[in-house]
Formats: sequence, structure tokens, C-alpha cells
Amino acid sequence: MDRHEIRLEWPTGRTRTLAVREDETVLEAAGRDGIGLPYGCRTGACGTCAGRLLEATGHESDDRTLDVDDAFAYRRCQRALKDRHRADGYVLLCVAEPRADCRLAVGPSVHTELVENPWK
Amino acid sequence: MSDSPTQGSAQPEHDHEHHHNHEGPGYATPQAAIEEGGREKLAYVMSLYVGTDVDAPDFVAVVDLDPESDTYCEIVDRIEMPNRGDELHHFGWNACSSSCHMEGLERQHLIVPGQRSSRLHVIDAADRRNPELVEVIEPEEVFEYDLSAPHTVHCVPDGQILISMLGDADLPGGFLELNEDFEIEGRWEPPGEIEMNYDYWYQPRQNVMVSTEWAAPKTYYPAFDLEDVEEGKYGQKIHFWDWEDGTVEQTIDLGEEGQIPLEVRFLHTPESTHGFVGTALSSNMFHFWRDEEAGEYRAEKAIDFEAREHPDWDMPVPGLTTDILISLDDRYLFGSNWLHGEVWMYDISDPSNPRRADSLSVGGTFGDVREVQGREIVAGPQMLQLSLDGERLYWTTSLFSSWDDQFYPEEAERGSVMLKADVDPRTGTLELDEDFLVDWGECPAGPARAHEIRWPDGDCTSDVWQ
Repeated sequence: MDRHEIRLEWPTGRTRTLAVREDETVLEAAGRDGIGLPYGCRTGACGTCAGRLLEATGHESDDRTLDVDDAFAYRRCQRALKDRHRADGYVLLCVAEPRADCRLAVGPSVHTELVENPWK
Repeated sequence: MSDSPTQGSAQPEHDHEHHHNHEGPGYATPQAAIEEGGREKLAYVMSLYVGTDVDAPDFVAVVDLDPESDTYCEIVDRIEMPNRGDELHHFGWNACSSSCHMEGLERQHLIVPGQRSSRLHVIDAADRRNPELVEVIEPEEVFEYDLSAPHTVHCVPDGQILISMLGDADLPGGFLELNEDFEIEGRWEPPGEIEMNYDYWYQPRQNVMVSTEWAAPKTYYPAFDLEDVEEGKYGQKIHFWDWEDGTVEQTIDLGEEGQIPLEVRFLHTPESTHGFVGTALSSNMFHFWRDEEAGEYRAEKAIDFEAREHPDWDMPVPGLTTDILISLDDRYLFGSNWLHGEVWMYDISDPSNPRRADSLSVGGTFGDVREVQGREIVAGPQMLQLSLDGERLYWTTSLFSSWDDQFYPEEAERGSVMLKADVDPRTGTLELDEDFLVDWGECPAGPARAHEIRWPDGDCTSDVWQ
């Protein structure tokens, strides 16, 4: 089973790199390594686990930058994300299985970027 | 902490023998609860870390409310959930005054759902000050019934428990029934009766239940988006059910002035068909009642909270009426306007013509009082609970983690607070008790949010009478 290097980057500057199999989600791999990422429903409905793709690269023979839907396969539909969020590189880590090496912004602040106060 | 009998036993203080045919949990009548319930000395409060930097599970806080106690205003116990990410939200008892005829049944177990996880927890609160988690129903067991996102928990008079469910992740929602051993019995209603779900209340003597509509989990979970309102993804209907049959008898569309109907309450007296529903986005209060001549329910806007201009905001800001409750004597309706930062009370002696009694402006976007005991209040009043005698109103400040982050982002860093107002039911007035503050910002693992409040021996938002 192929594995991919997923580098998690928090706003504080903290980073961790995980080896994630193609049949496991980023959230599952983080849990296995004892890394606390935010999550809620684990079914792609709530958005609590949102991350943002910073960079994705293919294998060495295919060294090009990939977009988020090339970088991940989704175990279930990302129902909590709207089209505009997906286009901006957001990804729900509870349902996302990697297909490329990636750098991801993680932590609860990623989720709070998704929707602003509509009256402000 | 005093040694009141309520602290160490699942039996309330009052003497059942004073009442005819009253052998089970709770009180024979709402008036009996007022007279015999005694002052609240403990509160159970939903407390949560979901979606924050604090890597810890949500918990149920046991809060000391006894002014004679050394630990008054402190969280004296925390019942941690076994998993992270639940978003504990609303909860309820296995039995209440609706089962007061059921010998052998006790108000002993709290059913505590995870709104995001769909996990159901059962807490044994026989020891009122030191409850313990005894059972967990995992989400996969719930999903088997094509239901998710549990919300309101009410006990059914014969020992079963009914939980409103807001999804599958897509529409529609429904109701999940547990038996008295806390096993899933199945779906209560035939699927397809409603499109959206949220809160409900039942009036067994009238054979009626009323339910409201928030939205599908995939809509409200991530946060609030006006685009979803424009696309009709939020509810504006209330449904009246045949309580025995579990089928919808009548649906009332409240229209644009009734957008996002959330908390719904019948009057406590079991003969009454009157009730109120608060519509969060429209920030109106609708009165509903059964028109006996027509043989159907009616609903009419009874209170209108105007949106307010904020100098730094682009559009008028709605009050966002998120919680309401009715005093046990059915005289006052209380509510919270979370964005305006206001708690209010209306005299509903004539439920068709609510009369404003008083309000209190504290915290929120517009509230006058922003500090209590030097602690800045960074969100508005939200979940309410009233003492049985109607003289003390308590509230917390968290609505829902993702909505909190959107409207009051500081709450994630500072945590919630619980505040209290003294109520004078005779004069219809509210006064903030500035000596009272419970601070979830000081929890050992880090600042936590605080949501729904329950008393150990029954309260204004969980007890139903037959």
C-alpha cells in the first residue's frame, strides 16, 4: 500500500510529518501517531476537521503541483464544504485519503476561515 | 456544601405520600414542584471542547449553586466523555414528572447526546454530586436507523426516551426511541413525516406533540451562511403530531417572520394547548394554540424583536432569539437574544397578548454590562434555566461551537460564563446578580464552552405533566 508524506502545519509554527497510507484518512493517521487534530462527525458533514492544502506534489517522476482533488480521494462526500471552499483548497481530513505528498494547514482556525459573520 | 437530601439520592426532597397516586419520579403538578422542589443547589451543564485547540473530550460539569457552600459558583465535578469531538449540546432525564405515577421509576439517568458525533451517553446521577458515565451508544448503532445529530431528549411517560434527530446528514430528520434499559428501540415515527427537525415538546393529556425545524446537519454544522437561508435550507415550519400515533396532523408555515424556529414550549399545565416558539433568525416569538371550533392549531406572531443598527456592522443585526422557557406557574416567558446581548421576560398571563415585563442587557454585541467581577463577558446570553420557584434565572453564553467562532470568536480563547439574575415575579423585574459568576475559562484542560443547564430534580425545560 502506497504511503504519502503529509506535513501538518499549525498557525503557531508547529509542524509534524506523517506517513499516511492510501487506505486511511489523514485524521486516522494523526490519531494513530497521537496527534490531536480537531474533529466532530467523522462523516464529512460538520467541517470541524477542515484543513487547507498548501502544496501537493506527485511522485518524483511526476514532480508537478497538484490541486486538492488530485491530492486526495474522499471516503465519503465532503458535505460540509461548499464549491467555493473546495476551489480554495479546503479539505475535510476525516474523509480524505492521500494520493500525493502534501503540506496542510491544520488546527481549529482553518475551520473558522470557512464562513464569516454575515452582518459584519 | 450542605447535606441536603437531594445531593446524595435520586429521590427529590418532597414527600410523595402527600399526593394521590403519586409513587414515581417528579412532582404531581407544576405547583407541587414550585412548593416542594426546594432551592436548586447543583446544576448539570453541558461543557465542550469540540473544535478548539484544547485536546480533551467534552464533559458534563457539576456546578455548586448553594450560596452556603464553600465551593459556591465552582465546578465541583466533571464527567468526561470517552471520546473527543462530541459537541455535547442538549440532554435530558430518563424519567420526569410525566411518569410520576410509575412506581419504581426514578429520575436517575441523564441521556447526553453528542450533536456532532451522534454518540449517546448515559450518566447515572443517583449520587447527585458525583454522577458517573455508565453506558455509551456508538454512532454506528444510531446510523443504522438512518438518523444522526441527536438533539432534544424527553422521557416518555412509561419509561422510554425519545430523542429528536436532525438528520441523516442530508434531510430528513426524525425521532429515535430508547427503551428503559437504554437500548435503541427504533425509529419512533414512520419516516418521511417531516423534512427538518429540531426541538419538540409534548402535552400528553391533549395527545399532541409539537416539533420545530433548524436545518440539515450539513447546513448548520459548519456555520451560519446567509446563502443557505436564501436557498431555503433553513426551516420555518412547526409540526403538530398525534402523540399516540406518531404522525403529523398539521403543519404551520410561519413564513419569513418565522425563520429558524428553535425552542418550543407548551405551557406546563397539562390541560393547556397554548405554547410559544422562538424563531431565531427572524427574532420573533409566535404564540400557538388549538382553535377548538376549527379543530386545528393556529400560530400568530406575538412578540417582535427589531434588528438593531451597529455602527461597525454592514447590516442591521437581528437579536437571534435562541432560547426561551416558561416559568412553572405559566405566568412568565423568558428568552435570550444572543446577538443583542439581552435576556427578557414577558408576562403571558394572557398568552395571546404577551406584555413586556423587563429585560437585562448584558454582554453580546450591544449589551451594557460587559464585565462581572472583572471577568469580561465576550458572548451573549444563550441557554436559560429558571429556578422552580421562578426567582432565579441562570444562563450560559455558548450557542454552537462553529456559530460561536463566527459571532464571538473570543469565546474559544476565554471560555463561557454562567450568569444569574434575580427575578421578582410579583413586580415582573430582573436584576443581574453581580456576585454570581461561574467561569469555564478556568477549567483545568483549558477554556471550555458551556451550554444547556439542568437541575438534578426537574426544571422548567424538561418536566412534562400528564
